[in-house]
Amino acid sequence: MTAALRVFAAEGRKQHRRIFGSPLVVFSMLVWPVLTLAATYYTMLPVIESPGAAQRWPLVAEPHRLAAFLAAGALAYTFFFSLVQSAWHFSFERISGTLEALFLTPANRMALVVANGSGALVQNAWLFGVFAIAAAVATGTLHVAHPGMYAVAVVALLVPAVAWGAFLNSLLMFSRDSAFLYTLLDDPLWFVAGVRLPLFALPLWIKAIGLAFPLTTSLVVLRGALLDGLGVRDLAGELAFLLGLSSGLFALTAVLLRVGERHAQRTGSLQLF
Amino acid sequence: MTAAILTHELRKTFPGQRRLLRRTGPAGPPAVDGLSLKIPAGSVTGLLGLNGAGKTTTIKMLATLLRPSSGTATVDGLDVVADSREVRRRINLIAGGERMVYARLTGRENLWYFGQLYDVPRAVLRRRIDDLLALVGLVDAADTLVERYSRGMRQRLSIARGLINEPSYLLLDEPTLGLDAPIARDLRAVVADLARGGVGVLLTSHYLAEVEQLCRHVYVIDRGALVAEGSPAALTAGTRLPYAVELTLAVAAPDAADAVDALAARAGAEVRHDADDEGRPRVTVRHPDDLAGEVTTAVVRAGGAIVRVEVTPPTLEDAILSMAAR
Repeated sequence: MTAALRVFAAEGRKQHRRIFGSPLVVFSMLVWPVLTLAATYYTMLPVIESPGAAQRWPLVAEPHRLAAFLAAGALAYTFFFSLVQSAWHFSFERISGTLEALFLTPANRMALVVANGSGALVQNAWLFGVFAIAAAVATGTLHVAHPGMYAVAVVALLVPAVAWGAFLNSLLMFSRDSAFLYTLLDDPLWFVAGVRLPLFALPLWIKAIGLAFPLTTSLVVLRGALLDGLGVRDLAGELAFLLGLSSGLFALTAVLLRVGERHAQRTGSLQLF
Repeated sequence: MTAAILTHELRKTFPGQRRLLRRTGPAGPPAVDGLSLKIPAGSVTGLLGLNGAGKTTTIKMLATLLRPSSGTATVDGLDVVADSREVRRRINLIAGGERMVYARLTGRENLWYFGQLYDVPRAVLRRRIDDLLALVGLVDAADTLVERYSRGMRQRLSIARGLINEPSYLLLDEPTLGLDAPIARDLRAVVADLARGGVGVLLTSHYLAEVEQLCRHVYVIDRGALVAEGSPAALTAGTRLPYAVELTLAVAAPDAADAVDALAARAGAEVRHDADDEGRPRVTVRHPDDLAGEVTTAVVRAGGAIVRVEVTPPTLEDAILSMAAR
């Protein structure tokens, strides 16, 4: 366990120095929330202002709550997409030649990918998180059943995000073609997970695809717990589904790491780029 | 149990290239073909061969980065496949070409990072990092980003990284590639010290003088298979390559030249007469045995005045090239 914690510390510091530590990145993290929220709001504006929108989506009639709905979506998306970026960065370890050095060590592979994902999550999303919480408190849009639901919301966001990050890292550790991640997981993730639109507005087949992404259900729990005053009982189904999905992702990650490392040892692909 | 890396009939064939919607291409020839080696603790063992001979593939199998297609490799009795995690604690690999370190971290941060992954006790790690930085001459650059390092400095940092877990066995794949001569010499001294301290070292290098200087035992491989083994001296002697005995005379001495010719004819040696840069007569005799004594005696007895004698023994490099040419 101590060894795994040391891997976490090492990965966190490495990522900070390699990716998140430069002033430009910190500046972009300050600007990113504002840009993301502005882009979301103005994308939605034509929908909101269309005649009869309030009948189809009552939240449109309450600008504060609508803004909170969109902000929650953007916050959760930021968390999950930061892990896509982290996995993409991880794929560069192959090019720099450090991937072989990692696999030369006895470090637990699962600890490595989970540490990498968690490190990216904390360093990429903390500022947006702080920004979102401050905005929500200032505008009085939080509606929480009891204080324990804050913890439920955080856990429902963080655990699936880390599982998602570990899964993506395990994929990209053994694949040289990381561009597909951005193609598959940038705009489509916005769309199918209900980041900007309520899930009921999406066709059934898109909802079915969206369920495969933990972001979709994390977002339902986040909005329900923080904006709609729902309790654990109300969200039990979603929480159980998230638990199952996260466990499945961790299990799949473990299998992928095992199979991937064996494949790399057979083909010598760790050094290819 | 012998404290050594042992391989038995080690073989590695890479699978054919996979293509979209098509069958996998045929597997290539074996990169390593039935190698049985012993790399004992406390000595430096060489692994030589021309490019593509299978040296790096062999080293990567011992480092657990590649899985043998068949045969076995053990480190102190631990199988490199079944006990890979424990094997990784005992070995490390240093490859030439200054990769395997993070450019946007400092030298010290790189060593700290890998120390964490190897779970080196905290109390030990800080001291070890300082010691290693001193060992590779990077104390002054310890807190500089690696992207600002020269090629040689990066390579020195890679060497320090390879020692961070205090390995029992060190696999060195062209470790002095790109290093300046003084640094390469220092590294050779470090390797010799490590071996004296009980570390087993497997060394591949294109600088055969380096191998000759460091290795007690050398394996020569070609197309993945073992073609010769022995001490550098035995390998060189085994090829029966000639010693060159070169005598420079003060003035021309026909009788001395005739005496050398007669000696060469009796011994079956190759002889050449020419002049050095200053126009003095010079005679060179090539023979698998060192004929310096006989040639010198023959010249003196025939009245020749010798001003210079130079004996060039065959080198390991000559021996390897000769084996490769067969």
